[in-house]
Amino acid sequence: MPQLNPHPWFMILLFSWVMFITILPKKVMKFSFNNEPTSKSAEKPKPESWNWPWS
Amino acid sequence: MILNFFDQFLSPSLLGIPLFALAISLPWLLFPTPTHRWLNNRLMTLQAWFINRFAFQLMQPINLKGHKWIMLFTALMLFLISINLLGLLPYTFTPTTQLSLNMAFALPLWLTTVLIGMLNQPTIALGHLLPEGTPTPLIPILIIIETISLFIRPLALGVRLTANLTAGHLLMQLIATAAFVLITMMPTVAALTSMILFLLTILEVAVAMIQAYVFVLLLSLYLQENV
Repeated sequence: MPQLNPHPWFMILLFSWVMFITILPKKVMKFSFNNEPTSKSAEKPKPESWNWPWS
Repeated sequence: MILNFFDQFLSPSLLGIPLFALAISLPWLLFPTPTHRWLNNRLMTLQAWFINRFAFQLMQPINLKGHKWIMLFTALMLFLISINLLGLLPYTFTPTTQLSLNMAFALPLWLTTVLIGMLNQPTIALGHLLPEGTPTPLIPILIIIETISLFIRPLALGVRLTANLTAGHLLMQLIATAAFVLITMMPTVAALTSMILFLLTILEVAVAMIQAYVFVLLLSLYLQENV
């Protein structure tokens, strides 16, 4: 089974971790939304109750 | 050199240059880094939706101290799911069929969770070795069994992903070869085999996503026990 061939083991290990540590965190962190959008009015709108319009 | 079915798993190289680097680095072109735009395009919106919902779901059962791991888990999930799915395209190489890659992620991350548990709350971490409500005479043997199961976790984690993907790819190649060979001899049987191949491909898509998810989910469970 070629997966058990020890020759490229260390390079694969090293390279995959390098990719995982350098490229991915920056990409994943950019997807986070840190700022809540603020609405113009100071007071919060009253939450309307859901009255199941189809039943 | 006689070609056999396992040769699809050889680490690819062209003129002596290992192509593994390309196989690992190119999937990230499919995930463009989002800018500070308020409204994104559809792709960015879908990816952001997936990443944020996944992070929320994964971190729900974990206490606040474990939330430091969220970036690692999300990055790992993206890594595995994109590599697995891209490997289903014809003539591509799937890095996650390599035991070295899967063990490279499973062993250090599992060890980290165990060390965190042992160093911060050793009593609780060791307490996990004995399930609650065990009858007294069974305690010694059960502790041995639980210790063995603890140490087998990284092996199981790595080998599960490797074996699932390897078996799937191997099966697809076998059935495709069978359909191809049978086309001249028995066309109806070849058509049936192609149907089976189609269904198998759908299964492999599901397996690719599920195995990536299970890998990350199990790591989050090991974290939950220890953090």
